[in-house]
Amino acid sequence: MIRMVAVRLALTLPILLGVSIVAFVLMRALPGDFAQASAGTTAISAEALDTIRRNLGLDQPVWQQYLVWLDGALTGDLGRSFATRQPVTGELLPRLTVTAELTLIAGLMALTMGACTGLASARLRGTTDWAVRGLNSLLLAVPNFVVATLIVLLAGLYFPTVGIFNYVAFASDPLGNIASLLLPALSLALTVSVTISENTRAAVLEVSSQDYVMVARAKGLRAWTILGNYLVRNALTPVITVTGLQLAALLGGSILIETIFTIPGMGQYLFDSIANRDYPAIQAIVLVAATIVLLMNVVVDIAYARVDARVSYD
Amino acid sequence: MDDPRALLQVRDLTAQFNRDGVPSRVVNGISFDIAPGEAVGFVGESGCGKSVTARAIMRLAPEGSSVAWGGRILFRGRDLLRIEEREMRDMRGRRIAMVFQDPMTSLNPVMTVGAQIDDMLCRHAGLSRRAARRRTVELLGLVGIRDPALRADDHPHQFSGGMRQRVLIAIAVSCQPDLLIADEPTTALDVTVQAQILRLLMRLGRELGMALMLITHDFGVIAGMVERVYVMHGGDIVESGEVDALFAGPQHPYTRALLAAVPRIETAGRTT
Repeated sequence: MIRMVAVRLALTLPILLGVSIVAFVLMRALPGDFAQASAGTTAISAEALDTIRRNLGLDQPVWQQYLVWLDGALTGDLGRSFATRQPVTGELLPRLTVTAELTLIAGLMALTMGACTGLASARLRGTTDWAVRGLNSLLLAVPNFVVATLIVLLAGLYFPTVGIFNYVAFASDPLGNIASLLLPALSLALTVSVTISENTRAAVLEVSSQDYVMVARAKGLRAWTILGNYLVRNALTPVITVTGLQLAALLGGSILIETIFTIPGMGQYLFDSIANRDYPAIQAIVLVAATIVLLMNVVVDIAYARVDARVSYD
Repeated sequence: MDDPRALLQVRDLTAQFNRDGVPSRVVNGISFDIAPGEAVGFVGESGCGKSVTARAIMRLAPEGSSVAWGGRILFRGRDLLRIEEREMRDMRGRRIAMVFQDPMTSLNPVMTVGAQIDDMLCRHAGLSRRAARRRTVELLGLVGIRDPALRADDHPHQFSGGMRQRVLIAIAVSCQPDLLIADEPTTALDVTVQAQILRLLMRLGRELGMALMLITHDFGVIAGMVERVYVMHGGDIVESGEVDALFAGPQHPYTRALLAAVPRIETAGRTT
């Protein structure tokens, strides 16, 4: 087990290297650069643009720029933001914690909603099943930014006293901070909960028809024991998989949601950085996001082995 | 026919499945008795209704299907088809236990085998976790598992098919039920293991004073194991009697056909 974790962690390094190359090249393949973006629509002389590019090292070949960046990255220096001239690490960290918190709350919401509706759907069948599946189809069909806009709209219309755009920092008011993230997290979680719900439903249905559940009933065990130890524990493996995968979807979705709810997180930072062609900032965000997804996959693999003794990594 | 000493009296039992609104009857009003400590065999081809009869005694419908039972199943005077689900749940495992056909799929893969006996003991015998584990180890030893204290912490995938069926038998007998229903307990096992499992069932039946209802499609399994036999065909009991008499002079043509289907050692060698 420890060996598996060590190997998996070692494997993340070449993957991150690949991700950083792809991100680096793709960003520079986009039309425009920071010099033009910062100049905006104002007329600016070609000489002035060249000066900005030279100062930022943008006049050098792409591979050389990458090596310079990589040299810094390997020593923990992700460079300075073009826009603010501040170290990227210092700018990213506070935003990362905001996004991490939003994603965590949304993930817990999605898992709770998805697991409960999926379980109810599979066990109660009938009307509950129809209702859950109907709702799931609806939520799946509507993208999360539409859900977010609807939430903003409805909350604004019917609960004008509730501040929607009043993000509160965790340090100043922890409870207020969590409260201010609830609606954004909900709009993120709804779509993701559908996948978890449908997978939970399918897994529980599959497990329900297994012989060992019949044996458990023949043992005269209480309904809660059968549900917990026989149904849920066996249905857990596929649910863990999709939940882990959906975390990536949550990270991606947070870009839109943070922009809509004006939350100062990584998503909005990425949005602004792309608009500004702020390469060092983009590069750092991509690297951090990739690291989170990779680490999450390792956590999922560890969770497998904890749940199911048949899973062995030796 | 009405024997007051009978442990189980089944009268006019019917079972009807409902498939997409079309009712189909699989048991057509059968009646039989099982006395305390008696070993009784039920023989018939697959689909003849013998497993459905066993499930009716446990009052267990297959997951996701609806089955309507009719008639009476009197167990120590209580009609199992009419008691509350709560009372029935106390009966299952405690008074009537069951061993199923396929040991490979009958154990919960994510729980240790010990835990799967523990939960039964905690439920019915009211034992503490620690006392339950002591009894579990005894039971695993009783069904012939070596190093039971160590093996109790193993998961099902670490056991062979025969060993898993032994575990399932340990589960079934853990609360010393009055009636043990074994539904094709050896069908999924190697021939060499089959005889061991059958001997184990018979020995435990005698030692614990359990009545045994042995369901099989194979007359060879019944021979020497049970006292009386019921032959089922198409949802009816077509013939019943003492096992020796039935082997010597089968009356019903279906029974004769079943007996003829049992391979015999003296002819099997010569045919090739």
